[in-house]
Amino acid sequence: MTSEEVRGRIRAHVRAHFPLARARDVGDEDSLLDAQVIDSLGILELVAYVEQAFAIAVGDDDLTAENFQSIAALARFVERRRSAP
Amino acid sequence: MTALLHTLLERAASRAPGRLALVDGARRVAYRDFAAAARRGAAVLRAHGLAAGDRVAVYLEKSCEESTAIFATSLAGGVIVPVNPLLRPRQVAHILADCGVHTLITTGRRHAELGGALDGLAALRRILLVDREASVADERLVPDAFAQPRAAAPAPPRHPHDLAAILYTSGSTGLPKGAMLSHAGLLAGSRIVCRYLGIRDSDRILSVLPFSFDYGLNQLLTAVEREATTVLLSFRFGNEIARAIHDQQATALAGVPGLWALLSDAAPAFRSQALPSLRYLTNSGGVVPLDTLARIRAAQPHADFILMYGFTEAFRSTYLPAAELDRRPTSIGKAIPETEVFLVDEHDRPCRPGEAGILVHDGPTIFLGYWGRAAETRAVLRPHPFRPAGAGHLVCYSGDRVRMDEDGFFYFVGRDDAMIKSAGYRISPTEVETVLLEAAAVREAAVIGLPHPVLGQAIRAFVAPRDPTAFDPDALLAFCAERMPRYMVPASVEVVEALPRTAHGKVDYPRLRERAA
Repeated sequence: MTSEEVRGRIRAHVRAHFPLARARDVGDEDSLLDAQVIDSLGILELVAYVEQAFAIAVGDDDLTAENFQSIAALARFVERRRSAP
Repeated sequence: MTALLHTLLERAASRAPGRLALVDGARRVAYRDFAAAARRGAAVLRAHGLAAGDRVAVYLEKSCEESTAIFATSLAGGVIVPVNPLLRPRQVAHILADCGVHTLITTGRRHAELGGALDGLAALRRILLVDREASVADERLVPDAFAQPRAAAPAPPRHPHDLAAILYTSGSTGLPKGAMLSHAGLLAGSRIVCRYLGIRDSDRILSVLPFSFDYGLNQLLTAVEREATTVLLSFRFGNEIARAIHDQQATALAGVPGLWALLSDAAPAFRSQALPSLRYLTNSGGVVPLDTLARIRAAQPHADFILMYGFTEAFRSTYLPAAELDRRPTSIGKAIPETEVFLVDEHDRPCRPGEAGILVHDGPTIFLGYWGRAAETRAVLRPHPFRPAGAGHLVCYSGDRVRMDEDGFFYFVGRDDAMIKSAGYRISPTEVETVLLEAAAVREAAVIGLPHPVLGQAIRAFVAPRDPTAFDPDALLAFCAERMPRYMVPASVEVVEALPRTAHGKVDYPRLRERAA
């Protein structure tokens, strides 16, 4: 899977499951957290999605605003996990 | 002394002026300064023409400013209307219009987002900003309204049975209704909770629930009553809560079921380290799943977990003392102090143990009625069913089905009507359906609540589109997301040709529930 594919799948998921992202036409670098697109329970859903969709484990220390700030940030996080041994 | 809401703060400021009252990020406010800010705020409200009984809405994130506005309004003789900061413009406009709000306190950014929603609100005279970010022209607008002290005549005296606050809440139909609470009722709620939780001045209470929610507001009042500290926190990650407990040495945390799910599943800093400062945790707003409860207790075994049950119209009805939790972890407990709670069947006869009936509440925390809705008030505030007619003794019917065991402990069973409870919020199907029906693509729409492990209930929408071939459910949800807070947006959409109807032509909700099961 290329970087662009990872980002595209996350973008599609966010737009499908967080309707405000679609309504606001949130871009890849736009903040999901500050704009209240994703709330605390939404982050739980998003963790479950990336773990399942990309076969990665989201560890205890990964639950940070940096990793979930935007579609692009989450895609970068997923790629780091995928390339890690 | 006649006790009013602000009496709590005046008393705390005179007895413990230097003690820490509020923590808001890096800000620390002692009781002396909290009371001074409230007095300054009251003078500003009075200088802007607020009269006794006028409504003041506060639409802010959790902050010192929001906390101050609550007491300033009471001092000015007004009625506070806390508005959940998650609400979108249409819900805010409904509240402001419904109870004829005179003054809105908010920020420049929030005011700009409200946009045209504030047009045509005849009663709204002032929009007082707590900052100077005024970007939209409006002759009612006062930027940085609380920066300069104002001189104003003192407020006319108020009576403990006068209206102090209006909290908006939903029922099984219609738009949210304003539950009217008196000074005496709010103070009774504070006094009772202080007593059964044993709150003391050394407590540091972490406040994450909104003040628009009776349970959240009560936390602030109890803290002030006992001269304790309130730590105000807006959060998105469970770990932020754990960090705040650790850094602020919080002793108490109040939550709803979704919060416990977050802390047990996605807050390693809560799950994997002891937070020894925590003295007790309380839950209200729904049933905590047993596995979640077990994980929370295993993570923080030294903290008492107290399950509670209430509804806005009566504030709080029951609590389960921590010592009973192991024996009856699914119980909502027994009546709170000063209160009688009993169950009646559909003929208003008392229920026997084991028999489910409607929970009825009799005590000093009962509300005064719904603002401007006499018929709906009469349906909830009714004469005591077991006392002679005409005694004028009113009790509050919850609408919740509850049963009692042989030892007198209560258990929540469910509701017979269509009201949805999701993420701790009461949601009327009508309110969601009204928005769905505004979408051009929708011909018919109805929503129900489906059981959900974290949310309690998740909203399922049934939609009959005008043009089934062109209908896009995701576009409909995006339409909803612009118009309501996330907890009201349906989690799923099921397309139907037409809604099932009863013989009288009403939407057949039981059929929809069967279909979804």
